[in-house]
Amino acid sequence: MVEYLIIPVIKLIVIFSVFLLIAAYTTYMERKVLGHMQLRYGPMRVGFHGLLQPIADGIKNLFKEDLIPENADKTVFVLAPAISIAVAIILLSVIPFGPPIKILGREINLYLANPSIGILFILGFSTLGSYGNILGGWSSGNKYGYMGGLRGSAMIISYEISMAFAVISIIMITGSFSIVDMVNAQAGVWNIFKQPIAFLVFLISGIAELNRTPFDMPEAESELCCGYNVEYSSMKFALFFLAEYIHMIVFASLVATLFLGGWHGPAFVPGVVWFFLKMFAVIFLCIWVRATFPRLRYDKVMKLEWKFLLPVALLNILVTGLVMALL
Amino acid sequence: MEQALILICSIIAIGTAVMVIFSRNTVHSAMWMVGNCFIIAVLFLLLKFQFIAILQVIVYAGAIMMFIIYAIMMLNLRVSDDSAEPLKNLLNGRYLLVALLLIGLFIIGVGFGPMALKGSMTDPAMVKFGEVELLANYIFSEGLLPFELVSILLTASIVGAVYLAKKN
Repeated sequence: MVEYLIIPVIKLIVIFSVFLLIAAYTTYMERKVLGHMQLRYGPMRVGFHGLLQPIADGIKNLFKEDLIPENADKTVFVLAPAISIAVAIILLSVIPFGPPIKILGREINLYLANPSIGILFILGFSTLGSYGNILGGWSSGNKYGYMGGLRGSAMIISYEISMAFAVISIIMITGSFSIVDMVNAQAGVWNIFKQPIAFLVFLISGIAELNRTPFDMPEAESELCCGYNVEYSSMKFALFFLAEYIHMIVFASLVATLFLGGWHGPAFVPGVVWFFLKMFAVIFLCIWVRATFPRLRYDKVMKLEWKFLLPVALLNILVTGLVMALL
Repeated sequence: MEQALILICSIIAIGTAVMVIFSRNTVHSAMWMVGNCFIIAVLFLLLKFQFIAILQVIVYAGAIMMFIIYAIMMLNLRVSDDSAEPLKNLLNGRYLLVALLLIGLFIIGVGFGPMALKGSMTDPAMVKFGEVELLANYIFSEGLLPFELVSILLTASIVGAVYLAKKN
């Protein structure tokens, strides 16, 4: 009873609330970091240095008028943000964010589930999440939204491949699909030193799949005036926004667990702290990239994937296999 | 319990498959198809095939349906307007419901018939060796010839598709 019901429910509530809070404050971090990189302050008005800004944003979004356009496909229009956020939150369940800890004499694992197919679970469901964006763009009955959705599906089709191939090389050297096994295998040397090329491919295609600058094709403001979510308002828009940030958090935790050793690190601070430090470092990197690079042209984005990342990832798998066979 | 779940999932699977055909909007059809792929993954999961279930989600619900939705949006297919079709009246909600009920009864009949799992993918073997290992061993030893033939067939079809597209 305690094993199978109470502990998972407590974990569920803790993971849900903590990560939603982190997602809300990632928006604050993004605005603040971007601001300082562009020599301005970012949000300053609400609370000390704008610390209460995400809460103010949330309240504002709740009280906005919820519009559904006249020529929208109503069912799909309402369903799209729900798909987006639900899939994003499901992804959080398989991420291990710390070594097992002891509470009241019980050993508690710091993840909700450790399926033997963990990494495939994340790859599969992260693709499903982008149906939210695509259907949202399609259903709003707006040409900009439509173009955004179309570009979104093209991006997912292309960059999912190189991302999966980068993960395959990690699966090869770990010999398991379970994310916890992958972290345990990195107790000595982190995977970033064993697989630097896979790391770079994973990072680039991950940022592309998150639809962030320089790859933000589906929501290019200057071309599509915000793309797939242009007709959304109020909480529906907020859900899209939140899903995007949760996807970024999941991506950052994946980079941390697959390549940066997960919760491993010098023992003077607990593993959970190491995990969150690495996660925020990767999130900071994403924001840094956004502040640094201009948006790529659409055909160049496609060329980068099919003519560069994909061959490199394939070669990396071949070389990994050869080295593993020879050693 | 498990039998009942399998039954419910099968009925949902058939229902979604029927909806793929009877939706008047192409994107709605594609969405029902995604649902169908997903529920079939659940069926695999109920049969304890975790790996095949997640492959079903990645390959069919993820990749292939994404391609189909991309194609639908690229070609800008709209609602078909052949409303004067006589078949439509014949196949409206009531008849569909009756048909679903009959199909459900059929599944119950098949479901309670004697069944046995044949081949190497049995429960004890999966626990002992792991599902992925069993599959890989089969594909790369006994099933090598058909596996390679299928890959050659796929390559040939890709080359053919490129040739057909290049002609224009």
